[in-house]
Amino acid sequence: MPSATLLGQSILSGLFIGGLYALMGLGLSLAWGYLKLINLAHLAFAFLAAYVTYQFVGYAGLSPPVALLIVVPAFFLLGVALQALYTRFAVGEFASLLVTFGIAVIVESLIQYFWTADFRKLQIEHGTASLRIGTLFVPVIEALMLLVAAALSLATWAWLRFTYLGKAMRASAENPEIAAAFGIDPRRLALLMSGIGTAYAGVAGVFIALTSTLFPAQIFAWVGVVFAVVILGGLGNPLGVLAAGLAIGVSESVTMAVTEPTWAPLVAFTLLILVLILRPGRI
Amino acid sequence: MSESALLAAEGLHVAYGDAPALWDVSLTIAAGETVAVIGPNGAGKTTLVNALARLLAIRRGRLRFDGDDVTAATAQDMCQRGVALVPEGRRLFVGMTVEENLEIGCYRPAARRRRAQNLERVYDMFPILRQRRRQISGTMSGGQQQMVAIGRALMAEPRLLLIDEPSLGLAPAIVEQVFTVIQDIHAQGVAVLLIEQNVAKALEIADRAYVLEGGRIVGAGLPRDLLAQPHIRSAYLGEDGAER
Ligand SMILES: Nc1ncnc2c1ncn2[C@@H]1O[C@H](COP(=O)(O)OP(=O)(O)OP(=O)(O)O)[C@@H](O)[C@H]1O
Ligand SMILES: [Mg+2]
Repeated sequence: MPSATLLGQSILSGLFIGGLYALMGLGLSLAWGYLKLINLAHLAFAFLAAYVTYQFVGYAGLSPPVALLIVVPAFFLLGVALQALYTRFAVGEFASLLVTFGIAVIVESLIQYFWTADFRKLQIEHGTASLRIGTLFVPVIEALMLLVAAALSLATWAWLRFTYLGKAMRASAENPEIAAAFGIDPRRLALLMSGIGTAYAGVAGVFIALTSTLFPAQIFAWVGVVFAVVILGGLGNPLGVLAAGLAIGVSESVTMAVTEPTWAPLVAFTLLILVLILRPGRI
Repeated sequence: MSESALLAAEGLHVAYGDAPALWDVSLTIAAGETVAVIGPNGAGKTTLVNALARLLAIRRGRLRFDGDDVTAATAQDMCQRGVALVPEGRRLFVGMTVEENLEIGCYRPAARRRRAQNLERVYDMFPILRQRRRQISGTMSGGQQQMVAIGRALMAEPRLLLIDEPSLGLAPAIVEQVFTVIQDIHAQGVAVLLIEQNVAKALEIADRAYVLEGGRIVGAGLPRDLLAQPHIRSAYLGEDGAER
């Protein structure tokens, strides 16, 4: 059995990685729930954003917040443009799997072309700064990442729940025809939603660049766990995604501390399969 | 008549793919008028209502609302102009609460400004909805869902309300209440197009009526004139034309 400190530290790092899972899952869950789009390209966009951030911060000398200010609007526009194409070519839920898988492969190739398959790690000032709380170390950037994930999940939830635009979004996901009869434009809302979801991939990418070592094959390595988070959290449910991300992150991290690291990848899927068996009808 | 009509349809043709559902349908609704459309199952009544709300494409013919040509208008556009729909089978946003459904009703900016007053008006009309405002609408009884569907349309402050079979599957007491509300709406100056299986009731509250059979208008007139026709009596009131 590990010591209390080790256990505390691994719960903490589970929360941080869980925050990143939630950040990556948020846009995916929104697109799946509200646009009926299973966006396999979402993680590719997150890593594209990570490489772009790496370039901006590592070579162009921009500070991370400035990189964020460029990446987020740019990815918002990318999301809007892609949704316009999906609508134009009437891409349905099943076709979206194929189309977005294709896009993911293209993005991966682009990343390979521009940045090669080498490992890349951003070195920034204070990048590894951490606070000490009691016997625990709290890395500042990871803590910030968790905070941002929580804030975005909460804000998205509140937007869907309390604003006219958010309610219109939910109504048009349920019944676009009747929503239109009440003056809602489901197409424009879909553009907005796709923009938001892709912008979230941008935010995730900036934090990936700041916290991890980059290499192109990672894109597909994350697919399993992030999909588990999305399905566990409930499609289109931002708070659910946050809770599922944190639960999977902590379970993985504690499993690693208690048993050995090779067991960790099993955790997400065991949880997923359990939930699908006990509470069917989530997808 | 056609000059002053709030809504005027001339020679509408509507089809589902290759299958025509409406042929050469013309009708008018004056401002503040209650017009009933009666007809057997499959006659095309729902098709007509959905075409007027611009949810279905009009293949041929012309549709005017308030003097403007709206043949090519979108559903959103019709909503902005003041047409609201109580669709067949209610079609609520079943995952959303009662109040959220009503709020979607006043999504159009002109109505949104008076959200609070309009909510009060609907809750006064259907007090049960005030109690159930936080309930998920899909979990309510058919009658209550119909109230939400009517309330949702009223939130849009319509000038023309399209109501498709409001009494379908409802208990008689609720049907009574729904008809009373439709008469109240009419009394407030809103034009109403009412589709109703309960022909006797529909003709009782309508100013005028059309008879739709097999996708064509086969009769029109004042309710009492229609009621005098043996064909109408036997086909829609279940009476043997020779009796009485
Ligand atoms: N979505 C659809 N696709 C194809 N055909 C349809 C569709 N909806 C209706 N129809 C057909 O169009 C015709 C008119 O149907 P509609 O629903 O308008 O009739 P209705 O008068 O409203 O009938 P009811 O009294 O049963 O509600 C019918 O022959 C029906 O089979
Ligand atoms: Mg019908």
